[in-house]
Amino acid sequence: MSEATPLVEVRDLQKHFPVRRGLFGAGSGQVHAVDGISFTIAAGETLGLVGESGCGKSTAGRTLLRLVQPSQGEIRFRGDDITSLDGPAMLPYRRSMQMIQQDPYASLNPRMTAGEIVEEPLVIHRIGGRTERRERVAQLFERVGLRPEQRLAYPHEFSGGQRQRIGIARALALSPALIVCDEPVSALDVSIQAQIINLLTDLQEELGLSYLFVAHDLAVVEHISHRVAVMYLGRIVELTDRRSLFETPLHPYTEALLSAVPIAKVSARGRKRVVLSGDVPSPVNRPSGCHFHTRCPYVHARCRSEAPALHAVREGHLVACHLHEAGPTLPLARPN
Amino acid sequence: MNRIVPRDVASDGGTTPATSDIVLEIEGLQTEFRSPSGIIRAVDGVSYNVRRGETLCVVGESGCGKSVTALSVLRLITSPPGRIAGGQIRFEGSDLLAMSEAEMERIRGNEISMIFQEPMTSLNPLYTIGRQVSEAIALHQGLSRREAMDRAVAMLQRVAIPDAASRAGSYPHQLSGGMRQRVMIAMALSCHPKVLIADEPTTALDVTIQAQILDLIREQRETLGTAVVLITHDMGVVAETADRVVVMYAGRKVEEANVADLFERPAHPYTRGLLGSIPDIEGAARHPGRRPRLTEIKGMVPSLAKLPSGCSFAPRCGLATAACQEVAPPLVQHRPGHWAACWRAEQVLAGIAA
Repeated sequence: MSEATPLVEVRDLQKHFPVRRGLFGAGSGQVHAVDGISFTIAAGETLGLVGESGCGKSTAGRTLLRLVQPSQGEIRFRGDDITSLDGPAMLPYRRSMQMIQQDPYASLNPRMTAGEIVEEPLVIHRIGGRTERRERVAQLFERVGLRPEQRLAYPHEFSGGQRQRIGIARALALSPALIVCDEPVSALDVSIQAQIINLLTDLQEELGLSYLFVAHDLAVVEHISHRVAVMYLGRIVELTDRRSLFETPLHPYTEALLSAVPIAKVSARGRKRVVLSGDVPSPVNRPSGCHFHTRCPYVHARCRSEAPALHAVREGHLVACHLHEAGPTLPLARPN
Repeated sequence: MNRIVPRDVASDGGTTPATSDIVLEIEGLQTEFRSPSGIIRAVDGVSYNVRRGETLCVVGESGCGKSVTALSVLRLITSPPGRIAGGQIRFEGSDLLAMSEAEMERIRGNEISMIFQEPMTSLNPLYTIGRQVSEAIALHQGLSRREAMDRAVAMLQRVAIPDAASRAGSYPHQLSGGMRQRVMIAMALSCHPKVLIADEPTTALDVTIQAQILDLIREQRETLGTAVVLITHDMGVVAETADRVVVMYAGRKVEEANVADLFERPAHPYTRGLLGSIPDIEGAARHPGRRPRLTEIKGMVPSLAKLPSGCSFAPRCGLATAACQEVAPPLVQHRPGHWAACWRAEQVLAGIAA
């Protein structure tokens, strides 16, 4: 897996949004939603992207798909630079890169039947004739666990879990290689979450799909991912395989995040936890140096002035923290 | 640090409950709503007790009636279309359902307080948070405006709002979600209620903020002896905070137990299914390679307008027999304090797989 070109390669990706401040602020600023992140996703791999609200994880996913135009950096798909391709040139890549959204209700056209929704990508990309498309839709319905007669029903007639199945069927229609899943189960009830997570895992195994799995629920991410990247205020602070991340987190933020997750076991009660004080700072007025220094229990002088670079502490375990600066800096790491 | 075993193991209707300890008793509550498709019984004969200083978690999925039960306690059901059709709710022995609206207003926010999921919708955007917190204090405790404001600032300090004295002059929109939730808690606790009902108080918050808020609620319970009813869908939160747990499904209570029994030996197949469907965050160690599949509960929650006959969970239950589809199972005490409404509870307790 490591020898071949990764399916996706992102280098120093940045997305800034302009903000106009209210009555009292002067002029305008910029939100550094995504502030120079780098990662790769191999074929058949799931990369989890976790972080709290406003950390830029969703924007990262949307920028990767070029649903929003990156401000800087490079996106490669199967080795091809797609960062600034125009509409027609981008079209063949779009076929291979799909998305599943958090709120399946908001992402499905209420005036189209479920069958039409799933068929639409085939129509847009002019794939197959009418009968072939219908067959493909029937196949997709079966694959995601919807009954054939449900083709004729409208989105409001489905439950949340079933709507998410429609969303998945639509994403699969063009046989993509990559699906960006943006909080795909966080709006669903627990028992339904499990159904969707199992479905996504089965599909990956069968079709060799790659996922960028964006979520805030660490237990879900841990379950589904091969590797996980943790984001804080627009930057990746730690990236490693799921086992290392959950067993030996190196970044103080990862440590705090993991210890804050309630564990559904009585034996876990009363375990020691790192409770962070305060809130996530605003991405408009980011702290100097390491963004996390305002809440970090291990903060020292250097953290306030100098941003740590993401570097490999050992092979495959990257962390951006001054506490762990023995290892070499990877070429992929963001220059500071 | 946390007490896993509740101080009083006897449960309602079990041996002899320590009645003096019970602050809130819900008995046979029925709450229904009129809808185009007929009467919907959102809460159908639910009973539970809450004891002084304990945390009772009420869990279940959307539409199971957990929030409607709580709103019924405070008589906050909008009527029409809603209506409390039967049952009793007793606070320190007196029936809340028989009280006048004026009497109820003295209870609400004073003796029994509630925190909602979305703090923004429960705070008035036009008033400063200091004013909103002090208003409740002035109203219920008969203090002057200045005294009430001092108490409000002290309350804001207690819920760890930095620089509380000047923050009291802020408007809700100037605060983050976690801060607003803390203001709600300050407001809810400002009159030292005997019961705090928290309806998904942390669902809209990030985990690091959630940990802060849950710590805060725990601290209030420990120092003031407030009874906490925590309504949640997050089994992790339940495992970490509850003394006892009530599990609801389709408007009914299907299981009640102390937290250790519920997690280690669930008696209802629905509870067992819920526990199995949660990804295990500590699983990486045990399953370094491919993860085991999550247990699915097949199908979905039935519509309350078209509940199946017999046990509402039967169509999704792997253990269901013909009998389950005919007669709804009554709540039966299987072990001291451990109740379940399931014809096959003994098999579930014995660990027989579906």
